[in-house]
Amino acid sequence: MLTVNCPNCGAPVRFRSPALPVVVCPYCQSLVTRIGDEIRAVGKAAVLPFDVSPIRIGTTGRDGDRAFEVIGRVRWGWSDGSWNEWLLLFTDGSHAWLGEAMGLYMLLAERPPASGDAGVSRIAAGGEAILGTRMTIDGQMLAVSDIREASCIAAEGELPFRAPPGWTVYSVDLRGEGSACATIQRDAGETSLYLGRYVTLAELRPQGLRAIEGWAMPSFT
Amino acid sequence: MADPAPDPATKTLACPSCGGTIAIRAAGHTVTLVCHYCSSLIDVANPDARLIAEYHEAAQELAIPLGTRGTLRGTEWEAIGFLQRSEGGIGWSEYLLFNPYAGYAWLITDGRGWSLGRMLTVTPRDAGGAMLLDGERYKPFFAGGSARVDYVLGEFYWRVAVGERVRTADFVRPGFMLSRETNDAEETWTLAELIDPREMGTAFGTDLPPAWPGSGRPPMPHQPSPWAGLVGRAWQFAFVAVLALLVLAPILGRGGTSVSETVTLFPEGSERSATIGPIVLTRAKQPVTIRARSDEVRNQWVDLDYALVDRATQASYEAYDIVEQYEGSDSDGRWSEGNRSTASKIASVPAGTYDLVVDLGAHNWTGASSSYAAGIAPVKVTVTVSPGGVFWSNVWLAALLILLPALRMGWQHIRFEASRSGESDVGGSTSDEDDD
Repeated sequence: MLTVNCPNCGAPVRFRSPALPVVVCPYCQSLVTRIGDEIRAVGKAAVLPFDVSPIRIGTTGRDGDRAFEVIGRVRWGWSDGSWNEWLLLFTDGSHAWLGEAMGLYMLLAERPPASGDAGVSRIAAGGEAILGTRMTIDGQMLAVSDIREASCIAAEGELPFRAPPGWTVYSVDLRGEGSACATIQRDAGETSLYLGRYVTLAELRPQGLRAIEGWAMPSFT
Repeated sequence: MADPAPDPATKTLACPSCGGTIAIRAAGHTVTLVCHYCSSLIDVANPDARLIAEYHEAAQELAIPLGTRGTLRGTEWEAIGFLQRSEGGIGWSEYLLFNPYAGYAWLITDGRGWSLGRMLTVTPRDAGGAMLLDGERYKPFFAGGSARVDYVLGEFYWRVAVGERVRTADFVRPGFMLSRETNDAEETWTLAELIDPREMGTAFGTDLPPAWPGSGRPPMPHQPSPWAGLVGRAWQFAFVAVLALLVLAPILGRGGTSVSETVTLFPEGSERSATIGPIVLTRAKQPVTIRARSDEVRNQWVDLDYALVDRATQASYEAYDIVEQYEGSDSDGRWSEGNRSTASKIASVPAGTYDLVVDLGAHNWTGASSSYAAGIAPVKVTVTVSPGGVFWSNVWLAALLILLPALRMGWQHIRFEASRSGESDVGGSTSDEDDD
C-alpha cells in the first residue's frame, strides 16, 4: 500500500496494488496516476450520477473461498442505458470485475487476448461483431449476445486504467453454456478480454453493502 | 468502516411535459419513464431527462398501484412499472418489481391468477421440443406468437414503447412457466412461478381471481391440477384395498368341517329325501355353502330342495338348486349346456347344530333335437354342506365402491387437464400429463 497526497488538492490517496496505477481522488475527482515513483494528476473524473446500486467502495465478499474487497468502479453509458463495473481486489492481489446491469451481476476476470480464438482476434483487429456468432475463449464456447458502443460516464476509487469521462469503447457481450459469459472491449488502442459467469449477490456473501433508505438490507452470511 | 446514514432510495425529477414531480425508484437502471400525471414518455438514460413523446392523458387505474410494496417468497418488492401486452387480441398485464438488493422481478396476470417471474441468466437446454432447466422438464405450450405492448406506465430498464413486438414461446410444468422472448437483438428467458392467490392478496392486496371450473375460463397453462397429487395415491390405496379384500374374503369366509353324502335316484322315479348332518356352526352368523354334483346326468336334471334345520330350535333355512346337463346337435353342430356341479349359499345362519334335509327328484329331458335318449339308469348325486362361503357379488360390489373415489378423482383430473391443455397451440403434447 502506498499513500500519497493528491497533486491537485493535497488529500491523501491510496494505491493498494502496483497493478492498479490509477486512483480517483475521493475529494476532488482528479485522476491520479502512479508510474514508478511519479505521481501525477491527469485530468478529472466526472461526478457519479445517483443510482441505487447496493454495492459501494469498501463492500467485501467472497468468490468461493477467495475474499475480495470492492475498491473501484467505472460507470458506463450507452444509447439505451448505463451500467456499473465494480473492481474487486482479492486478498492474493489479483483483481476481477463485477458487472452490474439490469439488477444482474457478472463476475469477470481479464484474460490475455491470446486466449480467444480467431473470432475474438477479428474483433480485436477492428472487425465488427455479429449477433449470435460463436467464439471460444479459454476453450469455452460462447455466442455474441449484445454489441454496443459504450462510453465512460464516471469512475471512482482505484482502477487498473485511466477512465476519463467520454472514453469510448466498442463492447461485445457473449453468453455461454450455463451461466458463462464474456465481454470484449476494444478502444482505439487495444482490446481487453474478460471471461466469467453470472452470479447472484447472495452467492458472493457480501458484507458492508450500501444502506438504502426504506429497504431492509438482507444479511448474506 | 462505520456504516454511514442510508442513502436515499429515489431520485426525483420534474416531468419535462407537465412539470409534475416524478420519483425514479430504480435510479441508475431506469431508462424510460412514463409520467403518471400526463402519461408522457421520458428518456432518463442520460442525466438530462428528455421528452420522447408528449401525452396529456390520465394514467390507468391499476390493480396494484405503482409504488405498492409486498413481500413474496421472502423478498420485499416494489411495483415500479406496468405493461399491458396482447397476443392475437388476448391481453395480459405485467408489473415490473424492483428491490435494490434483489434486482428485478415480474408479476404477471391475465385475470386467472398471478405468477412471479425472474429473468434467467442461464439458457435452458432444448430436449426435443421440451426445455430442460435445473433438471426439470418444461413441455411446449404456446409454440410461437408475437406479443405487442399496448400500454405502459412507470419506469423501465429498457426503451419501452407502445407497439413494440417480441416473438414469444412458452413451456410449462405444473406450477411453473418458462417463457422465451426474442427480438432482433436478443433472446431472454423468464421463469415464472404460480403464486397462491391468497398469498398475492396478503402481499399486494389483490382480489381473489375466480377459480376453475366456476370461472368459465380454462385453467392457466401452468396451473397444477388439484387432483394431480391425489389421483396416484387414491389409485394406490384403492388397489391395495381391493387386493386385500380379494385375499381376505375367502380366508374370512372359511368355516368348519364339511359333511357329504351321495344319494342314488332313478330318473322319473319317486323323489328321494336325505338328511345330512350334523353340521356344526360355531360363529354367531355365517354363510353355509351347499354344493351338489352328479357326473351321470345326461339330458337330465335333478331338482334339489334344501332345508337347513337347527336341531335345537327347528328353525329352517331353505334354498333350491338344480344339477343339469343337455346336449344334442343342430345346424351349427353339436352343442351341450348345463352344469353338473352347482353351489348354493345360505347367508347369515346363526350358530348351532344343523341337519340338511335334501329332497331330490331326477327327470329326463325329451328335447326334439336330442340325439341321446336319457335312460332309466340310476343317477348318483353328491351333496356337500360346508360352513362358510364367499358372496362374490358382494365382494365385487365392495371393490367397486372402493374404486369409485379414485375413478371420480381420475375423471376430474382428466377433465382439468383437457381444459388446461385446450388453450395450447402445440398439438397434443401437453395432454399426456403425468398423474403425479
